Amino acid sequence: MRYVLRRLGFFVLTLWAALTLNFFIPRFMPGSPLQALRDRTHNRLSPAALEQMLTSYGFKPDENLFVQYLDYLRNMVTGRWGISIGATLGEPVTKVVGQALPWTLGLVGITTILAFALGSLIGVVAGWRRGGRLDSLLPPVFVVTSALPYFWVGLLLILTFSVWTGGLLPSDFNYDSGLQPSLTLGFAANVLAHAVLPAATILITSIGGWILTMRNNMITTLAEDYVRMGRAKGLSNRRIMTTYAARNAMLPNLSGFAMSLGFVISGAILVEYVFNYPGLGYLLYNAVQNTDYPLMQALFMLFTVAVLVAVLVCDFATAWLDPRARSKG
Amino acid sequence: MRRTRIAAAVAMSASLFAAGCSGTATTTGTATGTATGSGVKEASSTDKASHKQGGSLTIANVQGQTWTCQFNPFNPAVNTVSLGFVYEPLVFVNLLQDQKETPMLASSYQWSPDKKSIVFTVRSGVKWNDGQPFTAEDVAYTFDIMKRVPATDLYSLWTGAGLKSVTAAGDKVTMTFGQAAGPYFFNFANQIGIVPKHIFSTGPAAEHPDTWADPKPVGTGPYTVDPCSPNNIQYVANSGYWQPGKPYLTKLQYPAYLDNGPANLDLAGGKAQWGSQFIPNIKALYLNKSKDNHTWSPPVTNVEIVPNLDPSHPATSKLAVRQAIALAIDRQRIALIGEGGQQPAANQTGVVVPTFDKYYDQAAVAAAGYDKPNPEKAKSLLAGLGYTEATPLKLTIITITGYTDWDASLAVVKQQLKPVGIDLTVSDLAQQTFDDRLYNGDFDLAYYGQAGGPTPYYELRQMLYSKNSAPIGKPASFNYERYLNPEVDALFDRYPTADEAGQIDIVKKVGAAMMRDVPVIPTTESVNWFQYNTEDIAGWPTENDPYAQPAAYNVPDVEQVLLHVYSKSAQK
Repeated sequence: MRYVLRRLGFFVLTLWAALTLNFFIPRFMPGSPLQALRDRTHNRLSPAALEQMLTSYGFKPDENLFVQYLDYLRNMVTGRWGISIGATLGEPVTKVVGQALPWTLGLVGITTILAFALGSLIGVVAGWRRGGRLDSLLPPVFVVTSALPYFWVGLLLILTFSVWTGGLLPSDFNYDSGLQPSLTLGFAANVLAHAVLPAATILITSIGGWILTMRNNMITTLAEDYVRMGRAKGLSNRRIMTTYAARNAMLPNLSGFAMSLGFVISGAILVEYVFNYPGLGYLLYNAVQNTDYPLMQALFMLFTVAVLVAVLVCDFATAWLDPRARSKG
Repeated sequence: MRRTRIAAAVAMSASLFAAGCSGTATTTGTATGTATGSGVKEASSTDKASHKQGGSLTIANVQGQTWTCQFNPFNPAVNTVSLGFVYEPLVFVNLLQDQKETPMLASSYQWSPDKKSIVFTVRSGVKWNDGQPFTAEDVAYTFDIMKRVPATDLYSLWTGAGLKSVTAAGDKVTMTFGQAAGPYFFNFANQIGIVPKHIFSTGPAAEHPDTWADPKPVGTGPYTVDPCSPNNIQYVANSGYWQPGKPYLTKLQYPAYLDNGPANLDLAGGKAQWGSQFIPNIKALYLNKSKDNHTWSPPVTNVEIVPNLDPSHPATSKLAVRQAIALAIDRQRIALIGEGGQQPAANQTGVVVPTFDKYYDQAAVAAAGYDKPNPEKAKSLLAGLGYTEATPLKLTIITITGYTDWDASLAVVKQQLKPVGIDLTVSDLAQQTFDDRLYNGDFDLAYYGQAGGPTPYYELRQMLYSKNSAPIGKPASFNYERYLNPEVDALFDRYPTADEAGQIDIVKKVGAAMMRDVPVIPTTESVNWFQYNTEDIAGWPTENDPYAQPAAYNVPDVEQVLLHVYSKSAQK
């Protein structure tokens, strides 16, 4: 119990520190929402009117920073995230985030799970047949691809599958702009087609890590006595591989997986940027570009909370699985 | 319009809200042939439908953001999708045809002799798209909103322009000003979209006309929104539009493009027919893709080297140095290499040609020696100050990161300045850092372009009027180079009360000052980016018929284009 309380206390403290940084760092950036708006309107409108416009949307340039900070903390906790004062001027932040969130969860979430599942499977098989054909081909290839930068792989895929093939696969956006969102097969197919390239980019660059760790864990586990015991008892190879070796080898990877789920929400900014995918990462990019304080604050808070919750869950899971973690605290 | 975007050539509209602009008054010379400057004739040819209705059009104008589906014309972030489509101005003023006027919601107007008041006669028989009749009350109410909620007064009509009152009586609307208000006609008659009183006087729209979302806009314009989603706005023709038989196209698609790349691909493939951004290597990537792909990008303002004239910057405040730069650069080559030939070369008078040819004094330019580059003279000017190619003057020019065409242009400038004895360093800054330094005068040289207006007066006054300046360390509104010349100020002050010939003469005199004092050094001319496909759509504005600024981001010009274009297949 004490362990749980300590973890929770740590969670709250970290959250507060992160929220504080999230408030102050954007305000130390050069520029202001007003300047960004002047640029977007090509400096042809009255700056005074624009400032008043921003003020009516909740921008308070002249208010005491500390008062603003307290307001901000209260608003973050109560969910009153305000109104965007950047490129989406006038839209409630909750609505802007709500529109982008499903796309990021769908794209990055599913791809992360896929990468973990596929990577682990390949790792298990490769570790089981150490030195085999699969083992000498896939892990090295994917270790190389995971070292490649996201955006470069993305651009390469666009070039190959979209530009050279005359638009075989769409290279941007979440679905064709001519379509209206609906629950039809055609629309779903369109969304999937648009997700193929960005998903492939994330898969190619993230799967290598899972393969490598899983393969190495597998090899260590295969040297354990209980595996030898299983063989001596005459169990089938498949059973030893899956229920004896893989199951134990998976444990360390699970905590890594929980962590990476926490990072899903922050999206893959570069991937979303390269593919113009209107998810949270793209939103964050735009918010920073336009010094959109309310939107930035809400996004950073979401990212922080997601990661912290993932870490917390991971802590609890470890404590539950491993008594040693509990006693050491 | 981000990242690879070419430096915004979006000088579609002048704004004279600059702090303390006083005593401005003019006759906006109506070029409609009446030439008296006091009234527009009843609309003629614009009203008659000459084509059958039908067909649709897709617009590719990069937004960098999905649509918010707000259409409040007072919100500057969204008014490019509502003004001209749904909301209409009183009178359309065409920047490209010497301020030619087309009456829209006002069928005519009459200035008082001192230009301190104007009476609009509103058009009869116009209906809002919800069926209510449009009246003079709506016009007065629109301007009253701007007085009541200063955030909606985007052109500072009630403060800078000296608007005193707007009253409606019968079918007349009378506006009175504290000063002669001729130059503001472009703003209040052309750029303000008239909103319905019966909508904006109730509920949340009345409480917060500035922040109200206006998701289902009620306007008098040729189109209505149906439906809007984050990825696309679809407009359908307003069947009750006051010009019978118009608009010709029954549907418009306005997809949200996040980046130039996909928009350019759609344009090249004919998926979108109306483009409004820079396409690099346009010949190979657009024009050669189809015989129906065309481009015409008329120049409207300047891109210039802004030298810091404050004495605290010893090099750039010296006339000889500025003269040397202006003489050494080969503007044709900058336009050809830096801008890929898609922007024309500028000239030292700052008068954009051919758009404002009337104001351009070719003989004076030749006499001053600015008609062609003269590196020899530049060399001797700098040698007089002790600088040579071996012992060069070191200068830094700031520009904006991501404006790749400007980087290319500056590479050419750097190359041209080297042999005459100036070692130029190009410093790319993030947009907002650049703004800070430009506004506050923290630079030797800056690369920048201003917004313009329907005559060269607007851009030149912004750049050169001393009241638009500020001491170093304080943000200047437009006069970033800190040019202070009482003689030029006096010219600008006289402009509003001058007749048309006098105004041309004044602009030419300002042009002469530009060559004498070299306060800024124009390099290329910013254009209105425009690509159009003629496979099915005809009636586009062209060089021979420039009836409106052609880029889709121009409000309210976009409406004129929408009232002209038609589908060829629907004519059969």
